[in-house]
Amino acid sequence: MLEPFSLPFVQRGLWEVLLLSGGAGVLGVWIVLRGLAFYAHGVAAATFPGLVLAAGLGFAGPLGALAVALVFALTVGRLAARDDAGDHSTLTAMVLVGALAAGVLLASDVFPRATNVNSLLFGSLLVISERDLVIAGCVSVAVVVASLLLGPRWLAVGFDRTGSRTLGVRAGGPDALLLLLVALVAVSTLSAVGSLLAAAVMVIPAATVRPWITRLRTWQLATVALTALQGVGGLWLSAETNAPPGATIAVLAGAVFAASVLARAVHDRQRTRGSRPRTAALTPAVRGGAR
Amino acid sequence: MTDVLLDLDGVGAGYDETLALRDVSFRAAAGDRIAVLGPNGGGKTTLFRVVLGELTARTGTLRVEGDVAIVPQTERSRLDFPVSAQDVVLMGTIAGRPWWRGPRRADRDAAREALAAVGLADRADATFGELSGGQRQRVLVARALVRRARVLLLDEPYRGLDTTSAGRLDELIAELAGEGRTLLIATHDVGQARAWDQVLCLNGRQVAFGPPATTLTAETLAGTYGGELLRVGHDGELAVVAEHHCG
Amino acid sequence: MTDAVLVASVLDGLIDPWRSGIMQRALLEVVLLGATGGLLGCWIVWGGLSYSAEALPHAMFPGLVGAALLGLPLVLGGAVGLLVAALLIAAVARVPSLDRDTSISVVFTSMFGLGTLMALSPDTPTGVSELLFGDVLGLTNGDVAVAAALTAVVLLALRLLHPRLLATTFDRDGARSAGLRPGVTDVALIVLIAVATLVCVQALGNLFVAATLVAPAATARLLGRRLGPSMALAVGIALLSGVGGLLLSYHAGTATGASIAGVTVAVYLVVAAAAGVRGTLTGRARGPRRTRTG
Repeated sequence: MLEPFSLPFVQRGLWEVLLLSGGAGVLGVWIVLRGLAFYAHGVAAATFPGLVLAAGLGFAGPLGALAVALVFALTVGRLAARDDAGDHSTLTAMVLVGALAAGVLLASDVFPRATNVNSLLFGSLLVISERDLVIAGCVSVAVVVASLLLGPRWLAVGFDRTGSRTLGVRAGGPDALLLLLVALVAVSTLSAVGSLLAAAVMVIPAATVRPWITRLRTWQLATVALTALQGVGGLWLSAETNAPPGATIAVLAGAVFAASVLARAVHDRQRTRGSRPRTAALTPAVRGGAR
Repeated sequence: MTDVLLDLDGVGAGYDETLALRDVSFRAAAGDRIAVLGPNGGGKTTLFRVVLGELTARTGTLRVEGDVAIVPQTERSRLDFPVSAQDVVLMGTIAGRPWWRGPRRADRDAAREALAAVGLADRADATFGELSGGQRQRVLVARALVRRARVLLLDEPYRGLDTTSAGRLDELIAELAGEGRTLLIATHDVGQARAWDQVLCLNGRQVAFGPPATTLTAETLAGTYGGELLRVGHDGELAVVAEHHCG
Repeated sequence: MTDAVLVASVLDGLIDPWRSGIMQRALLEVVLLGATGGLLGCWIVWGGLSYSAEALPHAMFPGLVGAALLGLPLVLGGAVGLLVAALLIAAVARVPSLDRDTSISVVFTSMFGLGTLMALSPDTPTGVSELLFGDVLGLTNGDVAVAAALTAVVLLALRLLHPRLLATTFDRDGARSAGLRPGVTDVALIVLIAVATLVCVQALGNLFVAATLVAPAATARLLGRRLGPSMALAVGIALLSGVGGLLLSYHAGTATGASIAGVTVAVYLVVAAAAGVRGTLTGRARGPRRTRTG
């Protein structure tokens, strides 16, 4: 059963997902907490034309991906910083589809031989290189360090943007760095899960853990562990079925998420039946009106 | 008056060419509890944003002594945040230290003191969303206190509170004012407003300002909440404004 | 080359492509896409539903692949896939503490992963991955007829729902106090997006539906603030960029779905950049008007 893990390229994949899980897990928590899921999806998908260009012109893939991701982060990020939810999502959608169209046009009409569109979009075990391991390790370290240093600010701004500004917490710099880190993590996940399914490691694990925790630190640790577990599981499935690892990890993560949500619902129902409902504390804010 | 913390003179502000709020002129001394009355869209939020420095005044002048802090309403999203009461109060200390440094012992002590000051020392580790509405209000007050803000803006703090919690909030507000702070309290509750030192009535502009006993007349309330209903003459309204202009 | 010859050759380049039945069907399809995408897109953009419009087509992917594998009509598979996806998103959105974007992200990523697994597994016949990129040139008369019927449904529904959509999008709380139920209107809008997705998906493919549903309306929004003119403008932009994409694909031999999407988005980006430059020059950013929080 463990046979696939003896193959060298699967072992490399194993190291890749383990190294990734630190950065992707910690950052995933911030993505969910700060409502950046669409941005994360957009920035990952936007790397696609960069990858195609790199493959076609023969330079390092992550370099091309990073260049496009940075452009995306700069344009969308500036709008996001203005706290302008509507326009931000429209622009994200536009840049995303535009990037995909550019990538497909490049791949099918300019460099038809140099690229394997499927492996770029959905990841592939065969393309993971030593370089990807180094990138994943460095990005994970950067994310963990940044989260330790800037976490309090990201938390304060997410909790109450106006309030924290009046408390003297300036959002601009730290938030820009958060968007930049999402772009970096998206680039580092590309070889394993591909540019369309990055949310499988960047969003779903954090969302799976969310209903069970009440503190940030536990959330981050549990998410990292879950990301690593699902990565290893998905990799094994991928090696067994010869399917792209991005797809197997996404399906596995989706199944675990569904199980988590259902278990939570059952758990809550039992508690409600047994004792005072947990949500009782939440009702006053909804009741509204003057006293 | 020596200890004026807030001084507005002819302030007007808005989001585009038309001003959402104009002609606001009043002074608030240390220890004043000021009720801000007005209908929805009457300019309460605009006034708060101007005092906070979020929005620049288009007309008039504004002077604020010391720091200003807002105690917002607890929105649904905040209830879901994975933070303890202590974590929320610690947010007030971030600006006081360089970005690479986490909270130190002094910050934690200050947060604990602020929680004790609002009577929640024993709930420091409780999850914010699981506190009662009144307790959440007090945690947010503590977050403002830890900044040593002298002017506090409270946005409808009584909304959704039961009588006991509201009574406790009354005491806290009196205590904070007694320590030499100025409190601006946005409210819909005219009865509540009568208990405080000053009343500011807004309806797109300043309708009246002054002590509740003389300010909260039928005419003023009609001018604040829609004069048409009570058929108050245009002159009557103007008279009220003139009378209490320099409160 | 004289002017007359130049004009003639340009005209020829514009007219010549439409002589074949394939291109005529493609043109008809693009017109249908423009009408649905332009009109519905206005509500998507104004209601902040861009992410839903982008994600729903991805989430229906397993339905499409399943239909292809079983030999059923794609429209049927797509409809089932959309229904499942919409139900799942609605279910996940009920989980407290997860916002709408996160739930959309979770559902679409898992579903898209599933579809990819099915499409790329060794047993699947080749050609299924075409579903990702669409094939407007491979449409049959039947496909176009179905698309026309669905378009008619969307347009009729939009006409009937117009007052409610307007009230809800403009002011949710106000609409609620006026006795309307914003939740019901939301569901109706999502259903319409799903139907429009069915119209688009065969021609444009899974990846590019959002281009037609979001880009023309987003462009129109940059240019005007009134609803009526914006809608007309959006339809016009959608039609022009659709035809432009077809011509580009015909003459340059590029992938059709990607060409249409590329032209549509390019128009948006050019207009957005122009609006941005103008905003900076006149020193009045579009920001302040919308920062009002209540």
